[in-house]
Amino acid sequence: MSLLTRNALIALGITIALAGTVAYTVNYLNRARISELSTIEDQISIDTLSLDTQFSLLEAAPCDSVASSTTLTGELADLGSRLSYAESQLGTNNPQVVRLKDQYSLLEIRDYLITKQLAAACGSKPVIVLYFYSNAGDCSNCDKAGYALSYLRNTYPSLRVYSFDYNLDLGALKTLIAVTKVRDILPAFVVNGKQYYGFTSLSDLEKQFPKGALATTTATSTS
Amino acid sequence: MSPQMVAYPFLFIAIFFESFILVTLLSEPARARRLRARGALTPSVAVIVPCYNEASTVAATCDSLLALDYPKEKLEIILVNDGSTDETARAMARFDGHPQVRILHKENGGKHTALNAGIALTRAELIGCLDADSFVEPDALREIIPCFADERVVATTAAMSIHRPKNFIEHMQNVEYIFGITLRHAIASVNGIYVTPGPFSFYRSSILATLGGFRQGHQTEDMEMALRIQQAGYEIGNAPRARVYTKAPRTVAKLVKQRTRWTTGFLRNVLGEYRGLIGDRRHGALGMLVLPTALLAILSGILLFLLMLFTLAHGLVNAFEVRAGIPLSYALVPHGAFDWMYLPTNFLLLFGLVALLVSLSFALIGKRLSKTPGNLFLGLVSYTLLYGLIAPLWLLRATADVTFRKHRRWR
Repeated sequence: MSLLTRNALIALGITIALAGTVAYTVNYLNRARISELSTIEDQISIDTLSLDTQFSLLEAAPCDSVASSTTLTGELADLGSRLSYAESQLGTNNPQVVRLKDQYSLLEIRDYLITKQLAAACGSKPVIVLYFYSNAGDCSNCDKAGYALSYLRNTYPSLRVYSFDYNLDLGALKTLIAVTKVRDILPAFVVNGKQYYGFTSLSDLEKQFPKGALATTTATSTS
Repeated sequence: MSPQMVAYPFLFIAIFFESFILVTLLSEPARARRLRARGALTPSVAVIVPCYNEASTVAATCDSLLALDYPKEKLEIILVNDGSTDETARAMARFDGHPQVRILHKENGGKHTALNAGIALTRAELIGCLDADSFVEPDALREIIPCFADERVVATTAAMSIHRPKNFIEHMQNVEYIFGITLRHAIASVNGIYVTPGPFSFYRSSILATLGGFRQGHQTEDMEMALRIQQAGYEIGNAPRARVYTKAPRTVAKLVKQRTRWTTGFLRNVLGEYRGLIGDRRHGALGMLVLPTALLAILSGILLFLLMLFTLAHGLVNAFEVRAGIPLSYALVPHGAFDWMYLPTNFLLLFGLVALLVSLSFALIGKRLSKTPGNLFLGLVSYTLLYGLIAPLWLLRATADVTFRKHRRWR
């Protein structure tokens, strides 16, 4: 075998080994990402259960749980961002991503119910937005709507936004969709129980909020 | 299929070629060449310095040649003024009457004619060239001579770097040149060199007599000569410790102009008269690996640049669309925590990073091999940040020139 052929074969072997190492590293980092998301979800799950229990225990003074509930909603939003990034890296159909999204959606629904219960018990009037999107390529305005909601949530911290993948095959989510009577015209919003479809602009979306609701929440958040 | 998939085969080939260079560097022929002693042979040598409007540098170039550690009676320097319109003639006059220096003034006819005029004046056994904006280390010639101990070697290249790089563009080119020292040393050990650059390449006078003198060679007479030598079945060596420093373009515009000339010269020579070398097993590494990879490198440089532009434009349009109507105080500020979770760890990026790191390590190896002085830090930074953005400009321009048969002036 000539030196040229020998060196070319060794170089090919090195290249394949390097490609394999890079593929393994990417896979390892993705698994670590999933694992971290799973850990965060477990923690939030425990926190949710704790809040639920706390809520039951403090039936006489349930409003003491409001601070915990607000913190949990913030953690859920952060988890949502991470999950969304993981989904963009690993793909919408990745089984682990789908499992994490199922769990995340359940946590959101649970938090949504607690928020509603607290509002009823404490007489507060939070603005709650249920946002339904799709990553199946059939929702051209979902990215814009999601970014506008991120802006609103950032600007008005007491605004409660819960995002759901409309196409997720999850019983609880399907029940929520049925209960809130949301049709498959995406993006879809349920603002304090009222449905709104499509996204044109931030100002149009803001018009769907109860009058003065955002101003009030601003005042609350900055006081 | 995502557009990024286009990049995979090119990256794979780039890393394969880099791996080949590394393996070849460690192979016996390259190791033997590195261990080669200087020896006591002192054949007669002539160094031709073709000059066209080089008044500011020709004297320093000639001084560096006169300072070469070589028997004075065996070394002659031929300064050829190729019809300069500046003070080159006056600068040369300083060496009038010097026993080692001959001065020739001629009508302007191009670099190849200046070299041929110089060749016609000498009967030296070895004939070297040195661009009039380049300077040599005193031991450079001593490093070159042993390469010719091998009868099959008819030409030899030196180890080039940039003379006192100052700005970012010059530092970037310095790393590129030193990277080239590694590349040339490895490729020479499997006879794959396809250019004998102007700064301090040497030829046996017998081979110049056999093959004929320099030709215009699509404004790359050094490449044409090397390809002619390879086509004739001879070998081109390399002396990695024969240090020569050359001036580099100081601006992006001048650099793009120079490299467009080099790249069009390469394409016109290799796809024209020397097309037969590509894929020819008889020409070993040159035909089977070096020339095909060099052609692919041009294609991949253009494609990856266009892909990057497309991805960037797509991302910008998308970001603009998503942010439309959102207050700038929010839209222009990055949001989200800085966390390893958000590191873009995809295959393309990491594989590209491997290719870049190997390239940078080649520059460090080249510096060590040649014992080139100076700090490479600024060069490595500028090479990493700028090279991938600037190189596609001359690749695109050269490819367009060749495609549309456009010919540009040398200067």
